[in-house]
Amino acid sequence: MSWNRVAVVGAGIIKFGELFEQSYEQMAAGAFAAALDSVDEGFEPTQVEAAFVATQRGTLWGQEGIGGNTIPTAIGLAGIPCTRIENACPSGSDAFRVGAMAVASGVHDVVLVIGVEKMRDKSADEGLLARAAAGHPIFTRGETAPVLFAPFATRHMHEFGTTREMLASVAVKNHHNGSLDPYAHFQNEITIDDVLNSPAVCAPLHLLDCCPQTDGAAAVLLVSAEAAERYTKKPVYVAGFGVATDHPYLHEKTSFTGLKATQLAAERAYAMAGIEPDLIDCAEVHDCFTITEILDIEDLGFVDKGKGGVASLEGDTSLTGRIPINTSGGLLAKGHPIGATGVAQIVECWWQLRGDADERQVETPNGYALQHNVGGRGSGVSVINILTNNAS
Amino acid sequence: MTPAVQLLAVGAAAPAWRLDAAEVGAAWNRGSRGQAAVCAPDEDVLTLAAEAASRALAASGLQTDIVDGLWWGTTRPPFAEGPSHAVLARAIGLSHRSGGALCSGSPHAGIEALLGAADAIGAGTARVAVVVVSDALVPGNGTPFEARAGAGAAAVVLVSHGGNAMLTERVTRTQPFLDRYRGDGEADTRDLYDPRLFREEIFLPAVRELGEQLVALAGAGAGDKIRAWSLPDPDGRLGSTIAKELGVTTNASAAVYSALGDTGAAAALLGGIGALDTAGTVAIVGTGGGRTTGVMVSVKDPVRGASTIEGVLAGGRPATYAEVLRARGQLVPSGETVQMGVPPQSAQFVRGADEMLGLLGARCVDCGTINTPPSIHPHCISCGSAKFVLEPLARHGRVHTFVVNQTMPAPFVAPLPIAVVDLDDGARVMLQGIGDGSDISIGTEVELVLRRYAHERGVPVYGYKVRPMERP
Repeated sequence: MSWNRVAVVGAGIIKFGELFEQSYEQMAAGAFAAALDSVDEGFEPTQVEAAFVATQRGTLWGQEGIGGNTIPTAIGLAGIPCTRIENACPSGSDAFRVGAMAVASGVHDVVLVIGVEKMRDKSADEGLLARAAAGHPIFTRGETAPVLFAPFATRHMHEFGTTREMLASVAVKNHHNGSLDPYAHFQNEITIDDVLNSPAVCAPLHLLDCCPQTDGAAAVLLVSAEAAERYTKKPVYVAGFGVATDHPYLHEKTSFTGLKATQLAAERAYAMAGIEPDLIDCAEVHDCFTITEILDIEDLGFVDKGKGGVASLEGDTSLTGRIPINTSGGLLAKGHPIGATGVAQIVECWWQLRGDADERQVETPNGYALQHNVGGRGSGVSVINILTNNAS
Repeated sequence: MTPAVQLLAVGAAAPAWRLDAAEVGAAWNRGSRGQAAVCAPDEDVLTLAAEAASRALAASGLQTDIVDGLWWGTTRPPFAEGPSHAVLARAIGLSHRSGGALCSGSPHAGIEALLGAADAIGAGTARVAVVVVSDALVPGNGTPFEARAGAGAAAVVLVSHGGNAMLTERVTRTQPFLDRYRGDGEADTRDLYDPRLFREEIFLPAVRELGEQLVALAGAGAGDKIRAWSLPDPDGRLGSTIAKELGVTTNASAAVYSALGDTGAAAALLGGIGALDTAGTVAIVGTGGGRTTGVMVSVKDPVRGASTIEGVLAGGRPATYAEVLRARGQLVPSGETVQMGVPPQSAQFVRGADEMLGLLGARCVDCGTINTPPSIHPHCISCGSAKFVLEPLARHGRVHTFVVNQTMPAPFVAPLPIAVVDLDDGARVMLQGIGDGSDISIGTEVELVLRRYAHERGVPVYGYKVRPMERP
């Protein structure tokens, strides 16, 4: 594969939460300003040649006609090329991948990738929960988001003896990390008992096994590797990426103990980066539900299949563990503004690889961080990006 | 002389819920006793009819595609105007060439369906007919008969020869009285202003006259005495009153009324088919809409399925008055409910009608994998082939994994089990479960039964749900 190396020279995020006071456009502008501020040697907004925006669901904020052209005006760059990427929960990570390809191909030298999502301008009933009535009138009726993952928890428990305590340990760990992240939606610690005693949302998943509905935005600036030194002395590079799809309906799955899309995307991303999973120092993975993180760390090759629950309970994935996972607090604590989520994960990886993660900083001896999303109907799509601070 | 028509098999169905009449009485400061059967939100006259008809057809041992017609009686067709009859026919596996009729307009519709089918058999235009009668009454709140307004279904397979019982006599009486009624566009059934007017001037004279005629026919004809009766009982009292007046010794319908309440158009047949398990004559009387009709069935040997009827009546989960009102659409949440992404009048329902109601799968010719539903699988999920044969899915399997959804907006009702099921033919499906999920676990043996998935813009949407098999 022949492509120009791509560097991330700026990355920014706004505080995630229920941002009732901010419009979609204001959130986008906030994330762009934060990304500009982060560039060590300064960055003029007008240097942006093209933008890729990830917003998964314009319907959640009442502007169903949202397209790529919304963002340039919102950030004061009306006129630049801008394309909206919608690819379910990996929308943000896919926008990053597409932005990276635009630079890698040589078509653009400076690209903005921005993820924005307004989740809370509609009530919970009219928002994501309304998907209970979407899709096929029979075969997906009642299929809210937890229904896409809870059957995997039921089966994982049955086959591997995974317990609700093991699931809960993921939420406890991610809330601890979130308590150290000033941008997280939730910044409070919780206990195993808090999770176990929270109300059932979709058995076996309870309230604290689920990520919140969150407003948020994040942005990164991509340039060609040769241009990177103009902007920073600590660039982070794109080492590889992988995308894969899987059947969209749950009854089409052959296995309920792993996510095929993640497994395939991981194979491709590791192959492109030329590394094995054991070189990854830390990862931001898709923990929309506690069970999802357990599936992820198995499917990404960090632990053996079936061992994700035990590994989580024993602290292997904590800030000081063997493979720190979701140092930002993850979707569970930081929040999951869908289009922004993947871009925000890139921001966290960027901070970790530059040593800028403050109290959350982990060791990065190998210089690799991995970012992962999985989603869509039946977890039918996964996108993985691998970043590195290794100069070559 | 009524043409000779044979009864080959019978079946019945009762809904999931039971309402204690005392709860209704307490709400309206009125003493009420007994109980009534009520549909859960995913049941209605069509799902009850499908279940009763499927049981009767199974008991008959016949292939469903040889049935010539379906005669269905109900006061409340699920589509006020629309494909009620066609949907039911497809759901019970009748062929695209089957005929029949939908009878409605009053609780007398059940008897009309029976006689319509009998006449077709007698005339030779049908050799095998399915009669199904079903109702799920929606009484006006606070009406005197509300506490006993029930739901249920009965089905009979009629044939030109080969049954163990036969229809012999019929008598009818018609007078243009207004009794219970529902105005055009109204949702709830109302009754006359004075229950005594109904009792003394309408009900007792009509049923008494019919009953006396049947007694006379039985005595004068074969010299056969009437062994058992099915008598109407619209309020939980009039049934025993009229039985006493007629000197009835075996009131077979009394047990049905005490278990299910008044089942409207289903009541006459549902009250009588259980008695077809013993040789002798059974008199079945139905009334409503100013018409009263009695028929006599002469039983030579037990009719297939008759001994199962009693078992259908038993059980049921107690439901609160509030749950019942909500299920009947008489207690509605404030604000908008979440509507289907695919409205029931749209193209997907035209494309998917057969595969949803017939529960079809597409078996890959190259690798054998069954793809469901066929319309969204132009290529096989396993091998990518585009060569398929359509076939009905197995209706039995085991749970591979499941969830119980507790968090959904109206009109969904939690808890809602959803299960991934491996069917006996190797197909894998994901469908809603019936009940609260407490009886489902990995490996649970389940059957697929028709249920109402939604009711939107006045239109019902039907599909199959997963129900755990009853444990022996």
